[in-house]
Amino acid sequence: MLEVQGVGFHYVPGVEVLRKVSFSAAAGDIVALVGRNGAGKSTLLRLLNGLLKPTRGTVTIDGNVTAETPVHLISRSIGTVFQSPEQQIFNATVRDEVMFGPRNLPITSGERETRVQEALERTGLTSQSAVHPLDLDQARRRFVALASVLATRPPALLLDEPQRGLDARGRLLLEQIVLEEQAKGCCVVIVCHDMEFVARLATRVIALSEGEISADCHPAEFFVNAKLTAGASVEAPDILRLSQELGLPPCLTPASFAAAWVAQSIELANRT
Amino acid sequence: MALIDIDNLVFSYGPKAPRVLDGVSLSIESGERIAIMGGNGSGKTTLAQWIAGWLPRPGMEATTGHVRAKGRPWQDWSALDRAQTVQFVGQIPMQQLSGFAFTVFDEMVFGPGNLGLEPDEIRRRAETVIDLCNMRHLLDRDPFTLSGGEQQRLSIASALIMQPEALVLDEPTGNFDPESRDALLGQIALLPRDLTILLCDMALKPALAIADRFVLLDEGRIIADGAPYEILDHPLTAEIFGLPAVMEAAGLIRDAGHWPANARLPMTPSAVVEHFVRRVHDA
Repeated sequence: MLEVQGVGFHYVPGVEVLRKVSFSAAAGDIVALVGRNGAGKSTLLRLLNGLLKPTRGTVTIDGNVTAETPVHLISRSIGTVFQSPEQQIFNATVRDEVMFGPRNLPITSGERETRVQEALERTGLTSQSAVHPLDLDQARRRFVALASVLATRPPALLLDEPQRGLDARGRLLLEQIVLEEQAKGCCVVIVCHDMEFVARLATRVIALSEGEISADCHPAEFFVNAKLTAGASVEAPDILRLSQELGLPPCLTPASFAAAWVAQSIELANRT
Repeated sequence: MALIDIDNLVFSYGPKAPRVLDGVSLSIESGERIAIMGGNGSGKTTLAQWIAGWLPRPGMEATTGHVRAKGRPWQDWSALDRAQTVQFVGQIPMQQLSGFAFTVFDEMVFGPGNLGLEPDEIRRRAETVIDLCNMRHLLDRDPFTLSGGEQQRLSIASALIMQPEALVLDEPTGNFDPESRDALLGQIALLPRDLTILLCDMALKPALAIADRFVLLDEGRIIADGAPYEILDHPLTAEIFGLPAVMEAAGLIRDAGHWPANARLPMTPSAVVEHFVRRVHDA
């Protein structure tokens, strides 16, 4: 689905933001892109959606080399939810905003209508469809941006810190949507500072450090390796560190921690 | 007399707009450290603006109820007195830059300059906040070229230099990566103890680090008000914030019958370790 091969990029000649980045991601992957501020995450995101073209190497999305494909065609293969919803909202009602993508696709008006209704429903915005997006609170604005991308049904999704500013209800809805997309075979790439979110959701962590990939593995392997987490300047989730401290098997989520604890309790009880 | 006294405040942003605050009563004593916790759209920011005296404004009055600072409604205060009593630091630091300053230092002293203080006094105040907010290496920079986190520190420095009695912080670490967040929370914890701090947030970590009184806000109403552990036990807390992961795990263990049913759930990893050690010891 996504193929990044030997990619290098600089904004200013001589100052390489990315050097020699290679990875590929398949349908059903949920890739968490992590790394400290300035590691090159956002640059990589813009290379994936074709807003930037690599200065070295190639990026191929859904079979199309981004350097040779117009951005509006790339956007049919890969939808982006930017960090600030205000960056991508420019219509006067929520409905028009969500309709913008489908209106530019070669599909029937009935199909457009279906997609918009569905996207509004999934993001909990059906009752807000006539409201001006900027009259909504921060969380709902983010869901407007997400709905407008979902309505184009792209085979790949890029989410730049989508959980930021969301309360638990919002995070739960977001998680649910990401998992539904994964189940449909969508390839999801999430830039994220929230490691608990990464631990719950990602099937894969790619860490960027000084313009290079410093780790590319399953979250469980990533978080237990202090060298990898330090390289990306991230903290392993509390629950994982706790399970290690207590000598339990490494646990990424509260549910797996509770299961390990209960199993050990039963074992202790049997011994006495 | 309470520093801020809010009595049955009902407020909406327009005659036809929905009620944002729906009968809020809250009393804030000098020196308190309070976290106002609420989900998206609960009314936190609006309440914070009333506490800081940014509301009421012409055309935006209370529907009913009132807010008094030291016994007087905000309308009776001069801007000058209000600025020295409560300072507000909003969610988007860029919006708080005065626009009159070309360097970080000039931005920082913009407020005290308008108080008509002696240059020596301004310099003395600046020295204190520069170190507290870790700004020394940024003093000559253009405020608009700072990163989000640096701008946030600058807004806090610009508020503290006014030497207010109370500081209202609206999601102060929203723009931060974890490293910068912990650094800022550490610095806030070092502020003089007599400074009243009000934190509005929907993340638990900053609240646990700063406040010893939690006020839970939902749909413009105060649902609970008390010690942190009382609020964390509240069923709505899990729904709005999600519990700290360790607390969620302990709850699941309790549901499975392997955690004492009457024991308080742990909020921090160290509390779990303590319990674990005791259990292994007992076994």
